[in-house]
Amino acid sequence: MNDENKAEAKLDDIQLAAVVSSSVFVVWFAVYWFFQIQAVRELFEFVRVNNF
Amino acid sequence: MPTSILGPYTRTITAVVLVVFTVVFFYTVRVSVRASIEPLFDWMTASWFGIIGTTWGAAFAIVEALHLIGLALIGGTVIASDGRLLGLVLADQEPGVVVQKTYRIFNWALILTLSTGVFMACGVAGKIYFLKVFWYKMLALSAGMLFEYGIRRPLLEKDLEDITPWVIKLTATASIMVWFTVGALGRWIGYSG
Repeated sequence: MNDENKAEAKLDDIQLAAVVSSSVFVVWFAVYWFFQIQAVRELFEFVRVNNF
Repeated sequence: MPTSILGPYTRTITAVVLVVFTVVFFYTVRVSVRASIEPLFDWMTASWFGIIGTTWGAAFAIVEALHLIGLALIGGTVIASDGRLLGLVLADQEPGVVVQKTYRIFNWALILTLSTGVFMACGVAGKIYFLKVFWYKMLALSAGMLFEYGIRRPLLEKDLEDITPWVIKLTATASIMVWFTVGALGRWIGYSG
């Protein structure tokens, strides 16, 4: 790969900022909603075990 | 083209600093800052909006309906715009045209949602102050607005052909996730407390 192609392969400022912030949001979304859904699953399990 | 003192990656550095600041804030001074603004919520409860919101149910219901319309419009524009960028909807339309057409609707929907949200918050200020989900919603809303106006729109102002395709798809996915979270947490507040 020559220097010109390497320069083209690099992301510019706004694209890099989009990658950084989007990655943070996607990870945060996955973690947050995983634990929220997990809490509901545990609640269902609690109800099932205790015969409510 | 002039560059700032942060160099050619000003926006990226700003985004990283904001993320780091948010994480540090969350794990350090969050609780004390929250306690220090409790008087603001007392003031909101005692304000005209707070009194109307707590004593006149019909007014609160009408404003809440407008709030939901605002949220629905935001959701609609996000699904149309980001869905088109992902190639999931409106496949017969040019992506750039769809994105541009949703901007104005999104702006007005956001203004409607924010203005009605302030009124509603005054009506239930004593409740939401103690709700974790309210603070998560404010975090998601702030992040969503900064992302929309600071990252997504400046990115999509470029010719879409000049943007790396997976960057467009990642940005669209993140946008859908953020605004889904804002909407879901908003409804969660309604069912809490």
